[in-house]
Order: sequence, then C-alpha cells, then structure tokens
Amino acid sequence: MLTGLLLVVLAAGLAVFVHRRGFAGYAPAPAGLAVLHAGEAAFVHAVAEVLFPAGGGMALSGAESQLAHSVDRHLAALPRAQRIQIRLLFHAVEHLTLFMAGNEPGGRRRFSSLSAAARVNLLERLAHHRRSGFRLLFTALRSVFVLAYLGHPGNLHGLGLAPFEIEPVVSDAEVLFPRVGALPSSIPFGAGDRTDPAARGPLDPNGPRHPAYARAGQQGRGEA
Amino acid sequence: MSPLAAAQLEGARERVRVFAQYDHAFEEKCDVVVVGSGPSGSVAAFELAAAGHDVILLEEGPPFTTRDFELDGNLSMTRTMREGGLRMTRGTTMPTMQAVALGGGSLVNSAICVRPPDSVFERWSSRYDLERTDRANLDPHFDAIADFLGIGPTPDEVQGPRNLLFRDGCDALGIASEPIERNVRHCRGSGECFTGCRSRAKQSMDVSYVPAALAAGARVFTSVQVQEIRRSGRRVTGVSGQVVAPFSHGRASGRSHTFRIEAKAVVLAAGCTATPVLLQHSDDLANASGQVGRNLQFHPGVAIAGVFPEAVDSQFGATQGYQSLAFLDEGFKLETLWAPPPLLAIRFPGIGADLQARLAELPQIAIFDAIASANRSLGRVRKRFRSLEPVLEWRLHPDDAQILRRALHVIAQIFFAAGAKKILPGVGGIADVIHSVEEVAILDSSAVKPSGLVMGGNHVFCTTRMHGDPTRGVVDEDGRAHDLENLYIADTGIFPQCPSVNPMFTGMALARRQAQVLSGRL
Repeated sequence: MLTGLLLVVLAAGLAVFVHRRGFAGYAPAPAGLAVLHAGEAAFVHAVAEVLFPAGGGMALSGAESQLAHSVDRHLAALPRAQRIQIRLLFHAVEHLTLFMAGNEPGGRRRFSSLSAAARVNLLERLAHHRRSGFRLLFTALRSVFVLAYLGHPGNLHGLGLAPFEIEPVVSDAEVLFPRVGALPSSIPFGAGDRTDPAARGPLDPNGPRHPAYARAGQQGRGEA
Repeated sequence: MSPLAAAQLEGARERVRVFAQYDHAFEEKCDVVVVGSGPSGSVAAFELAAAGHDVILLEEGPPFTTRDFELDGNLSMTRTMREGGLRMTRGTTMPTMQAVALGGGSLVNSAICVRPPDSVFERWSSRYDLERTDRANLDPHFDAIADFLGIGPTPDEVQGPRNLLFRDGCDALGIASEPIERNVRHCRGSGECFTGCRSRAKQSMDVSYVPAALAAGARVFTSVQVQEIRRSGRRVTGVSGQVVAPFSHGRASGRSHTFRIEAKAVVLAAGCTATPVLLQHSDDLANASGQVGRNLQFHPGVAIAGVFPEAVDSQFGATQGYQSLAFLDEGFKLETLWAPPPLLAIRFPGIGADLQARLAELPQIAIFDAIASANRSLGRVRKRFRSLEPVLEWRLHPDDAQILRRALHVIAQIFFAAGAKKILPGVGGIADVIHSVEEVAILDSSAVKPSGLVMGGNHVFCTTRMHGDPTRGVVDEDGRAHDLENLYIADTGIFPQCPSVNPMFTGMALARRQAQVLSGRL
C-alpha cells in the first residue's frame, strides 16, 4: 500500500517535472507553424540567435531569418521517422543542461532560457566534447540550422549565390506529364510548344537571378 | 536520339498514368514489367518496347516538370530522395541518397558518364566467372547510349572558374585531367543538376529514354509501389503493390488502391538498395545462393572546400565539369563538385561569427572531391521491420580509409597549386583550416582517423551481384536470376564489385545488353 502510494507520488512528481521542464513557460509559437510546438520554436530561435548573430557578415541574422518557419517547412516535408529524429535532437539539446549545466547561475535551466553567452558556451563544449556522440549531436544540430539559414533566399542572394533566372522551357517531359498531383488534362503544352534547347547559350555569370531570391535580398537590406 | 515526332508524343501521353488518375484497384497484363525508371530500368524498357514487346514501366515516384523543381536544396531532397535525403548507413555512419522520381537518380545527379577502364572488367571477369563482360563486348552498348543521350565532354564555355581551377591545379602538378563526359545537351551552366535541370539540358531519363519508350509503345505507371514479386514454381508471374501519393514517402493514403500486373518476364531495376528488399519481402525470392542483400559496396567520397583570394563565380558552371582518372590504380577518382550552397556548407566549422565568416566566403569557394574504390569495405542490405525501407549496414575497411586519406592529400595539393589561399578539409581531429601546402601532409597521416573522415556514398553496388557460379551470385551474366527462368535484375546491384568510376553509364550498358538478350527469349 505504502509502496503503491509512493509510486503514485513519484509518478505525479515526474509528470509535473516533465510538464514544467518540457512544456510550461514557453512564449506562444509564431503563427503558421505546422509541426513545431511553442517549446521547439523557442529552441530554434535560441539556437539561431547564437549560431548566426547579427553583424556576422551575412545579409540576415539567424533571428531575422525566421528559422522556425523554414525548419518547420523542412520537418513537415520529411518522412515521419526522420521528423521524429530531428525533433528528438532538438529536445536532447534543449534539456541537455540537466546533465551539462550552463556556465552561469541557474545553468540547469532549459537551453532556450540561458543567456546568449551561456548558450554559446554550451554549444562550444558540445562541439569539442571528448565523446564523439556529443560532437555528432552538435554537428547534426548545426547541419539542420545551416541548411535553413543559408537556404533563406535573402542570405543566398546576399552572397550572390541565388539561382539564376531561367526562361521556362518545354521538353518532351512537359508535354507528356502533368505537374505533380495534377491530371493529364491540365497539361498546357502540346508537341508544337517544345522549345529549342540549342537556341539558348550559356548563362551570363553576372546575369539576373531568380526573382523570388532577388526580392528577398532587397527585403533583407530594407529595400522592399 | 532525334526529337520525337509530334504524333508520337501526343499518342504517348495516353500511355502515362499519374497519381491523380487512380480511382480504383487495377490489373494489367504485358510481356515485360520493368520495376524502376532509373537509368537502367528506362534503358531496358525502351529497348524492349522498341523490339516490339508490350512493356509496362513502373515507378514509385512522380514525374517532375520544370515547374515542380524545388530550388531550395533542403526541400528538394525531401521531394526527390528516399527518407527525405537523410538516409544513413549503420556501422560506419555515412549519408547515402537514393532518388524516388520518374527517371530515378538521373533527375538529380550530375549526369556523369564514364566508361570503366579495362582493368575493372578484367577483375570482374576473372574473379566472378564472367565471360562476356568486358569493354569489347560492352562498347557497342556504351556507344549506342552515348549517341542516344548526346554524351560528350563538358565544354569550356560552361565550366565556370571553379571547374577550371581544378584543371589548372592538376596542370601545375602534372596530373592528367579532362572535362567530364555527361549526358547533357546544350548545358547552360546553371550548376543546379541536384535540384533538377530547369534548362532541360540534362538528358535525364524522364526527358530521354522514358519518352522514347512511350513513343515505342510502352506504358508508364507512376506513383505505384511494387510490394511483391509473384511466383509460380521456377517462374515469376508478375508484380503487385499499391498506389502511393507523391511525396508521401511510400506511406499508404486514401488513394492506396492496389494493383497487380501479370507479365511473361519481370525486370527489377528498383536500385541497389530497394531491389534486395523487394526480393526479401517476396518470400526471399531468388536467394538460393544466400547472396541477396550481401556484398554491399559503396564509392565512399570525401571532399575539401578550397577558398580562393577572389570570387570564383561559384554558382555558375557545370555542376561537376572536370575530373582526373590519374589515380584509378591507387583506388580513387577525383572530380569537381557543386551543390546547393546550404548543402555544401553544413560541414563548415565554427559557431556564431566564425561560422558566418566561413559562410560569407562561399563565393570564393570551390569544392573538389574523390570517390574511392572501396572493394574491401563491405556491408549488407536487409528489410526494415514492417517496412520496405532498407537497413544499410556497412563498415569502412582501414585499407580503404587509407585510400581516402591519400585522396584528401592529393586534393589539397591541387587546391594550393591552383592558387587557393586556404582549405577547409572537413576532417575531424585535425585543424579546421589549412593555410599552406606545407601543412597538407597531415591529411595522409595517422592523424586522420577513419572516424574523422566525413564521407558520403551515393554510388551503391553488389547487393544482387552477378556471378557465373549460381552458388555465389544472384544473377548470371545476362542479369537473369539463377533461381528463376524469367526474373531479371538491371541495376547497379548486379555489379560484382564497385566499378571505380561513376556507375550510371555502366548500369545502362549492362541493361541494354540484358534487354536484347531478354527480347530474344520472349
């Protein structure tokens, strides 16, 4: 009886701890997220802030790049198993402070609640940890964030690495196949619409870039 | 191949089925069902249809038009790659990508077409009891495919500086190099082979062999996942499976209608990782030898980023335009490489401003890579529990790790000979940045542990290897399963060893030869 009561109390305590640690106290998630919940969005923002600070030589900082939205789009497009793996990665680092405290008073708070300096310190310790598993954790985390950050059209445009603007072409594939998900009756092209692949020469390396990237680049510089 | 006539194309459209058209379960009959529309499957389908046979080509992925290409490399992978592009090997951890789209890997590869040297085929023939698999026998097939796809060397006008720097570095060191031959016509140098060629210059299967197969009378069913090969005694009778929605990663949906196709012969061209899983899922079919799924080999690749003093217009130029075959005898091939910049940058070191400084150098960066003939590094493919996805177990052999170290060393020397001011070796356990050629010897030393090598392996082989001895291989020299009279395998799984060069061309040549043999037997 006493043992049972003790177990119930322990379970209740654990539930409260998990709730407070994992779910309570986060600011509401930004609107428009399909996968990330408030805590995960806060974590993404907290990592983005310190991985890509303002004034780092890129068009946009991590915070300005709204990485929660791009990470969310990526996760939403992934198979379930891979989505779970990445979310587990986020949770592992968010709560790593339970075992690897931040270097400041209250260092066992969640990663996203630490100061920027303490977050950098913790990531540095992960990156150079003597155990390869911890280093792998950091490498995986950084990969997810670099993909999202550098994939932001504003950052790519700022580096001059945005995709080129390319005039639409019509090959046999465009005549034979509808767009993904559509019916063949929606194919707007016939055989006579095929473009001549020989008519266009090499691109100009300094030529125009994809309009969506160019727009994002202008917005990033406040030129919208 | 000359352009298809208008009438051929309009008629061909009627023989295509896409996801939106499936509204009930269906059954079909044909002479040959080809499973998988990658390079080998598409060639086989075309050759058989052109010979007058009734062919159905099945593909799990959807067809892509240029408007479906996703420019964001990250999102593109989730749409075109199995497991969203995040597939990894176990044992030695290494990412590996397999495409799921009409045209298979040809939609998102860099179109490299290289004929293996004689020495590769001599090794295959002597060790695997093969009698006709040599250059003399395969060259007519290579020639026919080269003519069909317009395979030729990448012209200088679309190389761009980052490819030509490789040539310059090799020249300075006296290393032979040459423009890469590719299945591309009128390349414009957009450098976006990996997300789909918006110029349609790349002759991926969906714009070349698949339309030609359709024009020759083949039917092409997309968004269908084959789940079982049906068998009766020593013969297969066809395949069955279900419809899967585009980008659903093979998961059933509201439109998961079943299908069944009866055929006189089945050609499996689902790819080196999917074909063995399909055989295992079909009651361990064609596995009297016990070799199905075994002998897994890769061409593990390593790459270095070199930073040049000036911008190198890195977005412009053929995705992979230059190569060196000078070190094939040592076990590696060198290439230039480009990809969506975020994918290239995931290995850049640092945190915060340090990391951003590296990212800001991307316009000055070129990437050179090496792929290794890792014949001693073996693994296996097995079916995942309650899934048609594979588990890939593979371990890098220490001798093959040494090949990769040597390759890294040579790449580093080429970079500095080409004028790089520093390189980012991307190797764990050594400095993040190397500033001079005097420091590069560390790359070929014991300081580089196998666990520190950051590899990728997108060329996969040998899981249904061909062997003249039925007890030691899955298929014979014609690609026919030893155990069955009418089951053929036509993908890189039948390679008895890794081919030391990019495998697409060899796979297509073997598939063409097999299709002609099969045609004569029908």
